[in-house]
Amino acid sequence: MQRQFFFFSEMGYNAYPDEEAEKYGYTALMFPNSIFDAATARDLWQMFLREHEYASEMGFDGSVCNEHHNNVLSMQESVNISAAVLSQRIKGSIALIGNPLPIHDNPVRVAEEIAMLDLISNGRIISGFVRGTGIEQLSTNANPAYNRERFEEAYQLIKKTWTVPGPFRWEGKHYHLRVVNPWQLPLQKPHPPIWAGGILSPETIQWAARERITYLVLGSALDATASCREIYHEVARQDGWTPGPEKLGYLIHTSVMDTDEEAYEMGKYHYGGTSAIGRNRGAGGQEFQKPPLGGALTQGTGSGGTTGGPHPEWAAPPGYISKRAKAGAMARERRMSEGDYDSAVRAGLILTGSPDTVIQKFKHIIDRTDPGYVTFWAREGKKPHEATMRGIELLGREVIPALREHTSALVTGKEVTPWPH
Amino acid sequence: MAALGSAGRETKVRCAGIEVQVRRGGAGTPLLFIHGEMGAPGWIDAFEHLSQSHDVIVPSLPGYGTSERPDWIMSVNDMAAWIAWFARDSEIVMPVDVVGCSMGGWIAAEIAVVAPEFINKLVLCSPMGIKPREGDIFDYFLESGATGLHRSFHDPEGCAQYMKYYGKELSPDDHDRIEQHREMTCRIAWKPYMHSLTLPAFLPSLNAPTMILCGEQDRIVPLDAARQYAQGIAGSELVTIKDCGHMPELEQPEQFAAAVREFLKR
Repeated sequence: MQRQFFFFSEMGYNAYPDEEAEKYGYTALMFPNSIFDAATARDLWQMFLREHEYASEMGFDGSVCNEHHNNVLSMQESVNISAAVLSQRIKGSIALIGNPLPIHDNPVRVAEEIAMLDLISNGRIISGFVRGTGIEQLSTNANPAYNRERFEEAYQLIKKTWTVPGPFRWEGKHYHLRVVNPWQLPLQKPHPPIWAGGILSPETIQWAARERITYLVLGSALDATASCREIYHEVARQDGWTPGPEKLGYLIHTSVMDTDEEAYEMGKYHYGGTSAIGRNRGAGGQEFQKPPLGGALTQGTGSGGTTGGPHPEWAAPPGYISKRAKAGAMARERRMSEGDYDSAVRAGLILTGSPDTVIQKFKHIIDRTDPGYVTFWAREGKKPHEATMRGIELLGREVIPALREHTSALVTGKEVTPWPH
Repeated sequence: MAALGSAGRETKVRCAGIEVQVRRGGAGTPLLFIHGEMGAPGWIDAFEHLSQSHDVIVPSLPGYGTSERPDWIMSVNDMAAWIAWFARDSEIVMPVDVVGCSMGGWIAAEIAVVAPEFINKLVLCSPMGIKPREGDIFDYFLESGATGLHRSFHDPEGCAQYMKYYGKELSPDDHDRIEQHREMTCRIAWKPYMHSLTLPAFLPSLNAPTMILCGEQDRIVPLDAARQYAQGIAGSELVTIKDCGHMPELEQPEQFAAAVREFLKR
């Protein structure tokens, strides 16, 4: 396949006062919406959508949108509405990463909306599905203990809705539908490409491999992403097939400016560990200390490492995350929070540099992981619009064309491009 | 079989469809104890006191302690049905005296509604299951397990049983156990949270002599829930314990046991 390059932005509400965030110590779930200002949000929407449009003009293959709830870091409370709007503003693909399936009580509604999007966009939809973060379970009252069961059942129901002629009846464990027979079906056959997004839950990677769908690594360090690929390929080997690059997507914080120094400064907006606050300020390493919600005895169980600076209990409500995944996610979170901005840059959690530097870094990444889909997370927090636009331009005009030509060392057997120092 | 104090013994038995952890001790008429959402942390002092006069039987509910977690328990009513099955398999002679704490009180009330012949006398201690008219049941799932436990006591640091089971430095295994209990509680009581929409309407059907017992400083379930139980169950009595939070069985074990024994003896 021809490697594809996408633009991503959380489209977060970055205008909340820092002192409010400091007062509460978190910016998700219970951060009071009395702080929200509608006129500001309206203006932010126009700015964010213009950035997507510009990425399309600069030669990106598509845009990525997502969904979060009760969270300043994302104003996208419906990924399908984001996708609908983007389908009218950009030329390329629209990847949804994705619909958080377990929060829905009627997954057929999701199947219907994706079908509408695929028809309206003339078949440009990539339909990602995610479990949603812990915050999503709490804000929508979806039972976290059944999160994975609901995810897998909803997925099977949606796939059947798209591929088996209706009407049919669905009597599952979590979903019960008398008549499944939506009038509209997707343009792409048998259905739009399906991605599963994750932050390193091994169960989700294995599940994606068994289903032979693309696994999108959401903003993890390079070594962890390489491990994800290994887990996926191991399951595929057991099942007797070899995944191509189209089975791996990589979403990564990227700050490209004209010089390494400028890019390094702008990259600070992407840093903050698990705290939205750090990112928003561009604090570059001033990890915000979150006071415990429940008094001195609150003992965290480990965060799912999500966006939004959540209280750890909200990131991982009971049953949401397996012990095995928790160990992995906790390890990842520790790496993020114990390190500083410099180490995040060194670990490849945030790619910064001039076009030449970033091209070399990405060649290294492609040599080691060969992702079919690369998504540049190229706007975050209060990063100025002008800098964001310049970054998009440099990615589109210089970085993407250079990387399209690069074949992975995993394919050529040549040496891995060295990481620039 | 492991010794648990002067009277208690712990066994693992296969009954009621699963492997069950059972703690049992004492002599006298049987007393079936149904633990709450935090599980039974051991052969607690209250069991020891009660075992002076009763054959105290404490199964760990499915998904709690080391009892197996089956997929087919998905509600508090399922737990109630499971307890009835457990009692039959364990050859407990009915009617039996039943003490249920917190969520265990809710389970006991559901049993009493469906199977009045099951219960001789009923003690509902800080029972979940009814939505208070004022205030809310504390949401365990927005805070850590340790926070929920701490809040369950009026004076945790001054409580020997709290310090013994929860106030110490918790090992990773202890944390895993707490999380396991929270997850099981999530499975059965997530929505509506910790209450039934129908139980209040059924309370007048209860005919077992019933005592509702709770701590005066309960910061988990507003006292109005206990009042509604007392108003709904004809002839029931509401007894409160001073200097006590949501877990009288741990915070005031002597008073708890004395009140239960006195009520059962009448």
